[in-house]
Amino acid sequence: MDDLEPMDDFERELQLAMRRRPAPPRLKSKVINELWENAHRASHRMVWFERIAATFVLAGVVSGAVLWRNAEERQRGVEARQQVFTALRITNRALEEMNAQLQARGRNAQ
Amino acid sequence: MTGPWKPDLEDLLDEHQSMVFSLALRMTGDRGLAEEIAQDVFLELDRNLRKIESPLHACHWLRRVTMSRSADALRRRRVRSMDMWVEIDEHHGAIFGERPNPLGSRIESLLATLPESQRAVLVLRYQEDLTPDEIAATLDTPLATVKSQLQRGLKLLRAKAATHLKEFVRGA
Repeated sequence: MDDLEPMDDFERELQLAMRRRPAPPRLKSKVINELWENAHRASHRMVWFERIAATFVLAGVVSGAVLWRNAEERQRGVEARQQVFTALRITNRALEEMNAQLQARGRNAQ
Repeated sequence: MTGPWKPDLEDLLDEHQSMVFSLALRMTGDRGLAEEIAQDVFLELDRNLRKIESPLHACHWLRRVTMSRSADALRRRRVRSMDMWVEIDEHHGAIFGERPNPLGSRIESLLATLPESQRAVLVLRYQEDLTPDEIAATLDTPLATVKSQLQRGLKLLRAKAATHLKEFVRGA
């Protein structure tokens, strides 16, 4: 079949019968609406994603602050205990010195 | 000097919706399905708008995607018969302000009975006025296959028309 072979009567009838048909009038508005809804859904999804991300960041910050505060208090407790022990050691040493002096005086008096 | 062509979906819709809808309608024989296919094709066009380089490219892209989507839809819905086509067409064929065309409807009915590959080349040849080369490029099929399908399809359609459309067709 030659590409440019002239059409016969039947082919001309066929071409006439197969003219393009008008699209439904609502087709364009349906496509535009669908595009708008897709864009709206995408922005809605983005808002939710941002909210979830913000929640995670906030939860991270709060739990970090709580952990930092606990660690700080624990450190302060350890320092206070060390100070008490130091004070006890000093007291103990003072008492031992006092006791030694008393024993020396007792020996001198005898 | 004019800048590079910038495709606008609304303009492309105005220009090509009739072509896309008619191709889908003639391939599937179902107005509802054809409308869905046309809608999907234009939504896909919107997603690929940046790749479209010229008005000609847009037209070729739309034809190719419409034919491919129609073939997919037909694969999903293999339950068509000529009676069903005629029934649907008679009920919905004359809407949207068209003038009723009995010969057109009957030729379309006969076209619907042809094998899908032959129907595709005939629709592109006689609705879109494409050459066999252009049809081969649109359907991504070898030129020899297109030519043989065109010949066989036309022969089959002539034979069917000779039997069913004696009162209308002189050249059949």
